[in-house]
Amino acid sequence: MTTQVIESKLSPVASAPAPAQRRSPWLVPAALAALLLAAAPWMSGQFVLHLAILACINVVIVNGLSLIDRCGQLSFGHSAPVALGAYGSVLLASGTGLGPVVSTALAAIGVGLVSGLLGWVILRLRGVYFVLVTFAFAELVRLILLDAAPITGGANGIASIPPLQVAGLVFDTRERFYALALGAAIASVLLMVWLFRRPLGQALNAVAANPTLAESTGLSVLRLQIVGYMGGCMLAGIGGALTARYIGFISPESFNTGASVAFITMLVIGGRKSLYGPVLGALVLTPLPELFRGAVQTQHIFYGAALILILRFLPGGIAGLPRLLHKGVAK
Amino acid sequence: MDWQLLLGQATANGLVVGLLYLLMAVGFTLVFGVMRMVNFAHGEFYMLGAFAAYTLVVKLSLPFLLAVALSVVLAIVFGSLVEWLVLKPFRKDELNGMIATIGLAMILQNVALLTFGPDPVSLPPIATGASTVLGVTVANSRLYVVGFALAVLLLLYAFLRHSPVGRGLRAVVEDADIAAIHGVRARIYYPLGFGIGIGLAAIAGALMAPLFSVSPFMGQTPLLKAFMVVILGGLGSIPGAAVAGLCLGLLESYSTLFMSSSTADMLIFILVVVGMLAFPRGLIGRGEA
Repeated sequence: MTTQVIESKLSPVASAPAPAQRRSPWLVPAALAALLLAAAPWMSGQFVLHLAILACINVVIVNGLSLIDRCGQLSFGHSAPVALGAYGSVLLASGTGLGPVVSTALAAIGVGLVSGLLGWVILRLRGVYFVLVTFAFAELVRLILLDAAPITGGANGIASIPPLQVAGLVFDTRERFYALALGAAIASVLLMVWLFRRPLGQALNAVAANPTLAESTGLSVLRLQIVGYMGGCMLAGIGGALTARYIGFISPESFNTGASVAFITMLVIGGRKSLYGPVLGALVLTPLPELFRGAVQTQHIFYGAALILILRFLPGGIAGLPRLLHKGVAK
Repeated sequence: MDWQLLLGQATANGLVVGLLYLLMAVGFTLVFGVMRMVNFAHGEFYMLGAFAAYTLVVKLSLPFLLAVALSVVLAIVFGSLVEWLVLKPFRKDELNGMIATIGLAMILQNVALLTFGPDPVSLPPIATGASTVLGVTVANSRLYVVGFALAVLLLLYAFLRHSPVGRGLRAVVEDADIAAIHGVRARIYYPLGFGIGIGLAAIAGALMAPLFSVSPFMGQTPLLKAFMVVILGGLGSIPGAAVAGLCLGLLESYSTLFMSSSTADMLIFILVVVGMLAFPRGLIGRGEA
């Protein structure tokens, strides 16, 4: 027991996956359960599939937010890159006649460039100031989308967006689209796991833990945060493009402050410190509205209360729960 | 087109809107100064203030002035209670405190939606007719609002400047630890500071209720403007918020003479970002980074 305690104290990133030689006994059952959970929607009807697709898209988007958060900056305007990705992908495809895949890739790159430029300016700000500016930027993006009615359709949005098509395969049924969304979600999780095992990920962690110390050891805080911010925004942009292709309709109101708040809620309730927090948050909170169908207000009140209670009593989110329970048993 | 007339009208409108921003931003920055907490629920308290005034005037047919006074007292009591019951564990914890107020905002807005419904309502005008001040014709109801807002500001100034409680509050804003060493009981000033900040938002809401329509979503825009104002004025700086609030209101009003209001919003956003980068501690005030 004591050695375990010492080990957990020594390991700098307690929530990082354990190294290969010290796998948790829960790994195999957890992997099996995840596999079953991922396959279940195909056998459970259209409604469950619909929720599963939305949950997968949210995993991609919230992973993006988590990547930014892990550089030590909280974005309160995460709906902005989602909106830019969605509109970019759709408008590029309809305006230039490019295929949906190429236009989505181009839109993601575009979001990366925009966020890189914006990040270069606003990432010099710290803490609360950064939060406020990202919030204002998201409002600005929404205003521009509303204002540029000749291109974006204004408040009416863009309807009847054609489904995604890859080399003759049309993702027009829920079964097919779920495969795509699941692939994207898994890819984004693997990307995060891979990134935070690399030196770049360690550097990002260092920047978040103590920017001054990181800077003095030769890491460029601004440059690292720009990289993290660009990556996070590109994930959000891809999530936005997927949403547009799946729902077939986008409007500025799909990307309002409420959306940004929902992403933060998922991240915080899932667990900000854990790689699996975004996944858990998206999985738990996406189907939740269905429990409160017809009572959106009650649902939001529940979200708000859950947010405050989790912050107060479970700062590690749902992902921190096993550790907490483990500690309780060990005592 | 008579430029002098247009300019005069724009100034009058800008002053009304600027006073609204000023009240919002001073309350917002006071809360930040005391608790180091960005209050995302500030707009919701503005909305609740407007609804309180609406309920008292329309449902209980009280006179408007009494309704405003009552809603402010209610807001200060309610705000202090919220601070004490909900936000206490998050004092001085910038990021988590901010997320907690997002949760608070969600709860308040949706409780208002459940109680009052989504449709906007309106108050009867507090005054009719118009007067001419310095050659500019202004609706009397707006003049009243300007008068009340200025009176509130004078009261606040006197309270912060000369009353023992106000001096204690300013000491806590300046440095809570040193204030505690000198015998200022921070325990009381956290709920009080939050309550007064919230009270200012509620006054703004109650005063603007007869001018604009009242709905559960009305808090969004003033909150965004309050952010802009405190960024320009420096977070935690009360004089900064006051000057920047008036400037932003006038600037918006003048800019609508030349361009559409959304273009003006974009330009102001760019201005705010540039201003923040050039003067990280605020253009006017001596904010705390």
